Amino acid sequence: MSTTADSARIDDLVAPQPASRWWAVVDGAMNWAGDRLNPILVKETRQALKSKQFTITFGLLLICGWVWSIVGVAWVGPNIWYTANGPTMFIGYYIILAFPLMVIVPFSAFRSIAGEQEDRTYELMSITALGPRQIVRGKLGSAVLQMLIYLSAISPCLAFTYMLRGIDFPTILFVLFYVVLGSLALSVVGLLLGTLTAEKHWQVVLSVLLIAGLLYANGCAIGLGIAMITEGRSVFTEPVFWQVNAAVVTAYVSYFVLLFYAAAAQLTFESDNRSTRLRATMLVQHALFTGWMAWVWISPLEGEPAMLIIYMIFIGLHWWAMGTFLTGESPELSPRVKRALPQSFLGRVFLTWFNPGPGTGYMLSIGSLSAVLVTVLIAVAAANAFDSPNLSEWEPSQSVQLLAFGLLGLSYVAAYLGIGLLMIRFLRKFTYVGVLMSVLIQILLVLMGVLVPLVIQGVSFSMRNSGYTLMQISNPVWTLIEMGEGRNLPADAPVLLLIVGAVALIVFLLNLSAVAREVRRVRIAKPRRVAEEDAQLEAIKHPPQPVRTSPWD
Amino acid sequence: MIELRHLHRYFGDTRAVEDVSFLVRRGEVFGYIGPNGAGKTTSMRVLATLDLPTAGDALVDGFSVLNDPDRVRRRLGFMPDYYGTYSNVNVREYLDFFARAYQLRQRDRLDAVDRVMTFTGLDVLADKPTDGLSKGMKQRLCLGRSLIHDPAVLVLDEPAAGLDPRARIEVRRMIRTLADEGKAILISSHILTELAEVCDVVGIIERGQLLAVGSVEDIQQQSRRQRSTVEVRVLDDAAALGAWLAENADVSGLNVNSDSVRFIHAGDLQAEADLLRSMIEAGFRVVAFGSRQQTLEDVFMHVTEGLIQ
Repeated sequence: MSTTADSARIDDLVAPQPASRWWAVVDGAMNWAGDRLNPILVKETRQALKSKQFTITFGLLLICGWVWSIVGVAWVGPNIWYTANGPTMFIGYYIILAFPLMVIVPFSAFRSIAGEQEDRTYELMSITALGPRQIVRGKLGSAVLQMLIYLSAISPCLAFTYMLRGIDFPTILFVLFYVVLGSLALSVVGLLLGTLTAEKHWQVVLSVLLIAGLLYANGCAIGLGIAMITEGRSVFTEPVFWQVNAAVVTAYVSYFVLLFYAAAAQLTFESDNRSTRLRATMLVQHALFTGWMAWVWISPLEGEPAMLIIYMIFIGLHWWAMGTFLTGESPELSPRVKRALPQSFLGRVFLTWFNPGPGTGYMLSIGSLSAVLVTVLIAVAAANAFDSPNLSEWEPSQSVQLLAFGLLGLSYVAAYLGIGLLMIRFLRKFTYVGVLMSVLIQILLVLMGVLVPLVIQGVSFSMRNSGYTLMQISNPVWTLIEMGEGRNLPADAPVLLLIVGAVALIVFLLNLSAVAREVRRVRIAKPRRVAEEDAQLEAIKHPPQPVRTSPWD
Repeated sequence: MIELRHLHRYFGDTRAVEDVSFLVRRGEVFGYIGPNGAGKTTSMRVLATLDLPTAGDALVDGFSVLNDPDRVRRRLGFMPDYYGTYSNVNVREYLDFFARAYQLRQRDRLDAVDRVMTFTGLDVLADKPTDGLSKGMKQRLCLGRSLIHDPAVLVLDEPAAGLDPRARIEVRRMIRTLADEGKAILISSHILTELAEVCDVVGIIERGQLLAVGSVEDIQQQSRRQRSTVEVRVLDDAAALGAWLAENADVSGLNVNSDSVRFIHAGDLQAEADLLRSMIEAGFRVVAFGSRQQTLEDVFMHVTEGLIQ
């Protein structure tokens, strides 16, 4: 029979020692963190560690690293003591590393989501509490983890190249930074492609295209990496180099976010809002590009009037491309989306354009392009007012030319997107037209506008050598080049502006009724059951505080 | 708990589900029966928020699958007619993944995985890779996955398909236990005898249309009121009785043996009694006249026409 003293002795023996208590705290913290990790990341890490593909790739990476170390050192021979061989060795390791990072990891990301669609495990995952963004984040996290493992495998070799001299630490970091960025971007592209279709034959087509694209990207990454390794140090001291890099990184981030949201939108339930986040991202991209152009414009060394033309071309292309997707959205709003429509006056004025729908998408595209014109006018006026050196060689006619170029570009975008939207609306009376079909219609429309007059002029003996004629008015590329080139406006500029502007205005007016229908939608109340549950959840989150009945409570 | 309101689902010209409405209450097992291509899986996929209805709506605990799929998913466990297992993942890891996906944390997650493995009898196979499991074990794993977040509603598409008799009995027992715990269960199966034993209510669907809904007994009663399978034994020549019966407009499906005749009689019990009296008055020496109770299979065969789309 045990006594109290015996129990105390047993407790002393069993009681955790300080070291084990410390481990218990660490264990608890790890458990807590592991619990909050993305479930897909946890599952895919478990799968990857047991998969043949990962083992083979990792093994090959190590073997190639060793082989290059031995071959490279043998090739340099005794000179290794006297000459700086770091760059040569680094290039070898970089080529070895680039392949898994630029090809294997993005393709695995594509296969990961495409495979889930094929095996229909995606359906089972989609009906859990995981949201579409969580799913994409999990898949991306898994890609990042693979990258880190490959990087860590090759890192001793990279450290070795630093010891061989000839390559500095910033160059190594810079090259690795960009190859990781490239791998991440390609992974998100892979994920987006993986979400596009569940049909096997289309997935095979996409696989082939993706592999071709990844191999090309790998070639580019190797070329750029080698250029950076050999020439890098000389440009590190140039401020412009860092400014360009900052611009590239911000553009990268914005496109990465856009692709991420596009992939998540593909996985989002049909009755949910797939559009608003994408529209907000498009607008942020617009703002970022405007910000960088403003930076260039106010910099006395770099700013030139031609920059404004480049700015208008880029933003015009951006909004036309985005408009092709936005005008393909469904005109119907589900009750779920209607519950979240802006309600206040200001909200309705400024946020309605972020609501899903082809009409609001059309308005967002041409509204943002109109803002570009205003921005350009402000830039020129500001430069004039502050007597900026930007305009030292500026002639007054160039302001008119700039404005005409902007107006013509805006008119083309409004006209083409508007005609496309009318066609899509017409076709939808007879058949289902999805976003991809709409994009195709918009692209074909512009291609016809460009190619038909070109072919006609090309086969006509009388017009073949007559250069730009009014027949090319439907060709925005040639017409805008004509309008933007040189210091003077072409003679037929007023006619061009009048015709294209009138067409754009008519098309805009024809679309206005559909736009108005989308704008007139108002918020609807939550269903009673949803309101009840929200109230219950709110009560759990913020329980009512006890009421004070006296000042001494 | 489950309510289908005038649910329609069209795929082009094919009307997979057309104006289907029914209700499944808490603690009730609803058997959804119909031939292949009748629209069972389509309606179940809509309920599981994997597909959108063309018109109508489906509600789970009052939440619309159309407008609140996220709230429906938290309450619903779906077991489709495929396994959906992952390679390089063992049973425990598989269930752990889905427990995490349903946002179960720490102790709750571990408990849920253990509970489900014990309930489905998979605890002895915890470390076995999922793609190496037998068909029956995969079925159990799928049932376990659909139960991991302890949903109030279960939608099970052919849960006993391809199982051996013992496994079927075990699945049936599990379903009954779950219903007794208060879960609303919608189950489809081709094995009608099993459904009859486990279901409180059945719905018969064909070509997307719900043809009959009610308890198994109600449907049998309704069907018996109109038609019954009758077997008559006579001392004389059964062929003569067969010829006599063939002239009766209410008789069909005649099957004449040496001393007995089996046929389907359209009419209620009173009509059956009248037929027996006429038979005796016609001079046949009847030694047995039995009207066999119709099984769910008989009802199914009677209600449906075997049409597919």
